[in-house]
Amino acid sequence: MSILANKDTRVVIQGGQAGVNAARRMAEFCYLIKKPLNVEAFVYPPDEGKTNEIPYGSGLIAIPVYKTIAEATKNHPMINTSLVYIGADRAMKGGMEALDDSHIKVVSMITEGVPEKDAKILGAHARKLGKVFNGPSSIGIISAGACRLGVIGGAFDNLVLSKLYREGSFGVITKSGGLSNEIIWICSQFADGITTAIGIGGDAYPGTDYVSYLEMFENDPQTKTVVIVGEMGGDLEERAAEWYGAKKRRVKLIAVVSGFCQESLPKGMKFGHAGAKEGMKGEGSARSKSDALKKAGAIVPPTFGALGPAIKDAYQELLNSGQVKEPVEPALLPKLPKSVEEAMKADEVMVAPLIRTTISDDRGEEPCYDGYPASELINMGYEIPHVIGLLWDKRLISKQEAEIIKRIMMLSADHGPCVSGAYATILAACAGIGLSQSVAAGLIMIGPRFGGAVTDAGRFFKYAVDNHMSVDEFLAYMKKNHGPVPGIGHRVKSLRNPDKRVKELVGYVKSLNIKTPCLDFALEVEEITSVKKDNLILNVDGTMAAVLVDIGFPVDSLNGFFILSRTIGLIGHWVDQKRQDSRLIRLFDYLVNYAAPKRREVPPLK
Amino acid sequence: MAKVLEGPGMGLMKKWGIHVPNYVVVTSVDDLAKLGLANEWMKETKLVAKAHEALGSRFKLGLVKVGLDLNGAVAATKEMIGRQVGSITVTQVIVSEMIPHKDEYYCAVKSTREGSEILVANCGGIEVESNWDRVKRLTLDIGQSHTPEGLEKLVKDAGFTGPLANKMADFAGKMFTCFDSEDAQYLEVNPVVTRETDGELVALDAVTLLDGDAKFRHPDWNFPFAAEFGRAYSRDEMEVMAVDSKIKGSVKFIEIPGGDTAMLPAGGGASIYYSDAVVARGGKLANYAEYSGDPPDWAVEVLTEKVCSLPGIKNIIVGGAIANFTDVKKTFGGIINGFRKSKSEGKLKGVKIWVRRGGPREKEGLDAMRALKDEGFDIHVFDRNTPLTDIVDKALQKQ
Repeated sequence: MSILANKDTRVVIQGGQAGVNAARRMAEFCYLIKKPLNVEAFVYPPDEGKTNEIPYGSGLIAIPVYKTIAEATKNHPMINTSLVYIGADRAMKGGMEALDDSHIKVVSMITEGVPEKDAKILGAHARKLGKVFNGPSSIGIISAGACRLGVIGGAFDNLVLSKLYREGSFGVITKSGGLSNEIIWICSQFADGITTAIGIGGDAYPGTDYVSYLEMFENDPQTKTVVIVGEMGGDLEERAAEWYGAKKRRVKLIAVVSGFCQESLPKGMKFGHAGAKEGMKGEGSARSKSDALKKAGAIVPPTFGALGPAIKDAYQELLNSGQVKEPVEPALLPKLPKSVEEAMKADEVMVAPLIRTTISDDRGEEPCYDGYPASELINMGYEIPHVIGLLWDKRLISKQEAEIIKRIMMLSADHGPCVSGAYATILAACAGIGLSQSVAAGLIMIGPRFGGAVTDAGRFFKYAVDNHMSVDEFLAYMKKNHGPVPGIGHRVKSLRNPDKRVKELVGYVKSLNIKTPCLDFALEVEEITSVKKDNLILNVDGTMAAVLVDIGFPVDSLNGFFILSRTIGLIGHWVDQKRQDSRLIRLFDYLVNYAAPKRREVPPLK
Repeated sequence: MAKVLEGPGMGLMKKWGIHVPNYVVVTSVDDLAKLGLANEWMKETKLVAKAHEALGSRFKLGLVKVGLDLNGAVAATKEMIGRQVGSITVTQVIVSEMIPHKDEYYCAVKSTREGSEILVANCGGIEVESNWDRVKRLTLDIGQSHTPEGLEKLVKDAGFTGPLANKMADFAGKMFTCFDSEDAQYLEVNPVVTRETDGELVALDAVTLLDGDAKFRHPDWNFPFAAEFGRAYSRDEMEVMAVDSKIKGSVKFIEIPGGDTAMLPAGGGASIYYSDAVVARGGKLANYAEYSGDPPDWAVEVLTEKVCSLPGIKNIIVGGAIANFTDVKKTFGGIINGFRKSKSEGKLKGVKIWVRRGGPREKEGLDAMRALKDEGFDIHVFDRNTPLTDIVDKALQKQ
């Protein structure tokens, strides 16, 4: 048996993230005691219609979110308890809504900083309706082996250590939420554990006081002893003493009160919870409370440290008189499934990786490129071409190679607005499309006819050089197997109107005194093809390809050089159009050859 | 509970129709001189000047001067402003009109569990304090308002008769309306006096405690709350308060001069039990502190530095119960950073640190604390198997 929270308790949680966190803790407890999750609904207007995913064991349970308590209880008629996790300024309205619902019998408010007046109104309203309003500032309520409301009880390991999976014979009522776990732990170590523990909140006027809960415990045959953890201020402990002393009670009462330090503090200094304020003429002081409790026959240990032994004595008496028997612990308790991370840390599982990377690692303080920390590369004077070398080819390239890459990128960064890529980007920019999509539109144009021949050019030149082909053999091979030679030919440039970028790049590479077999071969090819037709010259794609192969880049990476450098230009075009606030453009009719059939009759649908 | 000084307190009473003397609150002599030119009453009536600070026994300290003319009030203000009383510097003076009167009465409204009580006595001033049995009460449940009959009976019970009884009933009714509408927790006027000029009851003094938690629905509470300690907050205390106002969870810090046992415990409930244990062991508290509600580690670090800076400390009690959801590893991380920083600044010499804690990630947190031994800290770490306050016993018995 237990009070307030039991196996039939079904819960609605009013509130957002804090409520979800509480539901997670509650699900851990439900899992421990092998009961289904006792949270059936959330009420949180901003998330109406959504669900909150609550982990239970190794799975997830979707709990619906409603706008009002009425909707929640209509859809979940078993709900009989509400936990309020709403901000202090709206807490009273939420609490009232719950109290006024006929399904709900218990409302526990976790919210802190609720105005005193609001708490009093809620408490009075609940009493009028014959319901229980617990809190505000309550850490929660827990009945061992039966029901957890809120985060009381702490982490899963603590639930197990404090034997909350099965009932004991001690009831607990505490103002302090922080001490609730401590006292539950003490009851489990010095005795057989708790029946129910209630955090009533540290405010001056909690909705329900010790006396109401003492009455409930008195009527719960399983609870043999009640432990009260009190504080100075107010008169709740005095009222509890009065109740206990009024007549012979079935339950034993053990109580501690804090605030003796007050006596030796400078005058006027007061600490602790909102309720911990001393009244006039010493009333509400720790001493007056502890005296009243002692006088009423309660056991009052002098310090918190003496509480454990006092509980032990009480338990021994219960054992001796045969009122309780030593509990039998279950042989096997469910273990909370570990997250994959936790299990891996403990070397308990091996997970087959989904992807594999050989170029970078971001798990430390900063990303490492092929093992080199980015900041150190910067500080040692390395530049973007070196990063390209590391990430594309996993090697630190030389200064000279870096210079070649830099020049390639500078030469191919942009080629005016008319080419396919830039034109597509501009078209998109004028249609009001964002940067990344517009640039992507331009990049999509890169392919066999525009800018995308670098890889193929490199592949075939390399094939020829590797196989010691002559130019004639190569051209024959290409004609037979692949068609036109990638990297050869230009739409507008020709022998008489050479591409200055090609001349520039070839001139620079030739001046370096390095071996350039591919470039040499490509130039030989050009000599032959340009004689056949004067625009069959080595174009910029072909030149880049040959040079990059010569300095050792893998052929599959070659298109990347064009994509990367042209992205610079595409971004420029997008920003340029944006800056001008360009308007939507469309083709004029006269730019289109309308070769479609003339207007004609639509035949009836068959 | 939030204490409000006399000026804003009287302002709230005036708002709800209670007669109060004319008054001004000034921060300089020039202000008062200018106000004197603008307000006829300051020239026509005798004046009272009081230091407008959260100070007890102002009369004894010479911080209340009565029967002044405007020049006298200016002189008194000049004398009071800037005066140092303990840790408080007088920065404001309230100058109000003196109300000639013969009889004094008492009226208060206080919060109770069920609602509130209206208190009335037909004597006032010091007389009521020594004749507390003459105070009569009217109990009102929450949500219930006073009735004319109820008030009539109250003032009759208190010994008021005739037209004065009607006036006192009206006064008490207004006090309750002010209390109820302003989310007050305590209102007291002592004395209430009959103004000789028109026979109206006037509140000569106001003790006002408001519910600070209700500030969100009182946009006109534009006054600061006074320190409840009978002294001003220190710089370190204010720094911790500033942190507290910014974070989820809370950190609190109050200095107690002269103590040698520093407190750095977790949770509002456990902190008091720790303080009790120190006192019970004959120790002297150097401060009160707590962190609770899973505050961010940087906030706990600031709190730790303040605790380490307390002069003359011999022990630091890093106590705490078994936490519900405060992350022990993370909050201890803040404490450890604070310790390291303080040590590097030459603090913590010869200071013993005592740790006891449980809760989420307790093992990791406690291990990290234990590791501080290797860095030369005199630290003693215990887990949940050591009862809550035993570290205080260990700390204090060794001296």
